[in-house]
Amino acid sequence: MTSILIIEDDDIMLKAIRNILTKAGYNVLTAKDGKEAFDKIDNEQYDIVITDLMMPYANGLEVVSRVRSDSRKRHVSIIVVSSVGNEETITEAFRLGADDYLKKPIMAGELLIRIKKLIESRSHTSAKLVTKKK
Amino acid sequence: MWSNLTNLIYSAYEQFNYLPLFIEIALAFIFIAIFATLIAYGVILFRRWRGYVDEKRMAFIRPRVEEMITEQVLLNENLEKMQVAEIEFEPAALNDKIYKKEWVRQIIIDILIQYRKNFRGEVGELLRKLYLDMNLTKDSYDKMKSLKWERKIKSVVELTQMDVQISDVTILPLTNSTNPALRAAARNAYIQLSKNEPFKFFDIATEPILPWDQLELFKIITTTKDIAIPNFSRWVSYSTNKSVVSFCLKLIAHYDQQSAIPAVLDLLANKDHYFRADAINCLGKLSAEVAEERLIRIYNTQPLACQLEILKALGRIASGKHLEFLKQEFLYSSNFDIRMNAARSIIKHNTPGSRALIDELKEITHEENRLIISHCQNPLIKY
Repeated sequence: MTSILIIEDDDIMLKAIRNILTKAGYNVLTAKDGKEAFDKIDNEQYDIVITDLMMPYANGLEVVSRVRSDSRKRHVSIIVVSSVGNEETITEAFRLGADDYLKKPIMAGELLIRIKKLIESRSHTSAKLVTKKK
Repeated sequence: MWSNLTNLIYSAYEQFNYLPLFIEIALAFIFIAIFATLIAYGVILFRRWRGYVDEKRMAFIRPRVEEMITEQVLLNENLEKMQVAEIEFEPAALNDKIYKKEWVRQIIIDILIQYRKNFRGEVGELLRKLYLDMNLTKDSYDKMKSLKWERKIKSVVELTQMDVQISDVTILPLTNSTNPALRAAARNAYIQLSKNEPFKFFDIATEPILPWDQLELFKIITTTKDIAIPNFSRWVSYSTNKSVVSFCLKLIAHYDQQSAIPAVLDLLANKDHYFRADAINCLGKLSAEVAEERLIRIYNTQPLACQLEILKALGRIASGKHLEFLKQEFLYSSNFDIRMNAARSIIKHNTPGSRALIDELKEITHEENRLIISHCQNPLIKY
């Protein structure tokens, strides 16, 4: 089962996304701030990270950098969900290694489709790598 | 015991009358201070108690409301199967006795608004449907009748967030309220809710649109979908409200309304030089070449603020016809700002002619002017 780590300081949004993803059949882990997020990033297993940008202790961009700097987490996909919509921030998030960016308010259906697509593209890439190795 | 106390107070009062005046005043102050302190402590205690009760209530009801919204909206099975308008909520879940209480209904509204800020699409629409089906609009409308302006603002914000129409008769007077916060909230709501004539309140606005409110309105106007943008020259020509005219000039420039140029040109004859400066700024941003001659003609009779705007406008229009004028201002003006803006405008032309002129100026001018030119040539400095 695909595991998803949600990092979001807004309690309502955190619970809402958790409920939607759990209903869609994913295994969901949550973190309420940057500190808790770093702890879970380092110690838990997950396939996708969904992170907000503005949070206490560490912002979403730092979360993206942390995941990308860990060679064991290369397979992890990152989706940034934020109400920040300026070009520089979005570009910076992608530059640091985010795979997708959703601007709040989000559409639940869209989030699910994007997660599905990321999982598909990751499995595609890993299948290719296996074939190459063979 | 009571009679002893009454006697004590009575004798104290009798003795009080025989005390020297300054002692009487000092005693009066002491009593007032003790009384005020007691009242203050009483108010603090009461507020803390209210806060504690509210916290308890919230801790009890919030999870229940969130669970109800999660079940009825976020995890609603019908979301994928049918249109939002056709989805019916479970009556048992909505008709819970506790949801009839006013304070619980307010919590539901607050939570629904928080959800609406985070979700759009079908989930957003279903949240709105829940708001309507629970008849929470009535609660929001009731707040509109309150005499307290904070409650009125809350009402306006709730109805706007839930995309519920407010009649013009109700909201238009609020857009002109003497209370700046209420006025701003009503104006923001009017633009978001009125699809056909979102700027109708400009017609009746006698109260100013404060600079911060202009920023907020500008954000709403430029980010609200399907908003009908009118020709703002209408208010430039006829409004008697200075802040409306000034704001419309900014909107004309933003939406590049070329048809408004004649109305903006008329403002150059206005007695208020702040108006004229705003109008010149707008003409520059519209790249109104037709205005150039007139701007040069009036230049010498204008105050510094307008002169600077004229120099900037010439740089923005950049027709190349008035490089000589800019050169003269750069070389012979004693005012630093004028020289700076003249240099910037020459550089802004970015034509072979202007580049040659800059090279020439570097040769013939003095050290300070050369510094101004190299400063203006720095691409990191915004113009």
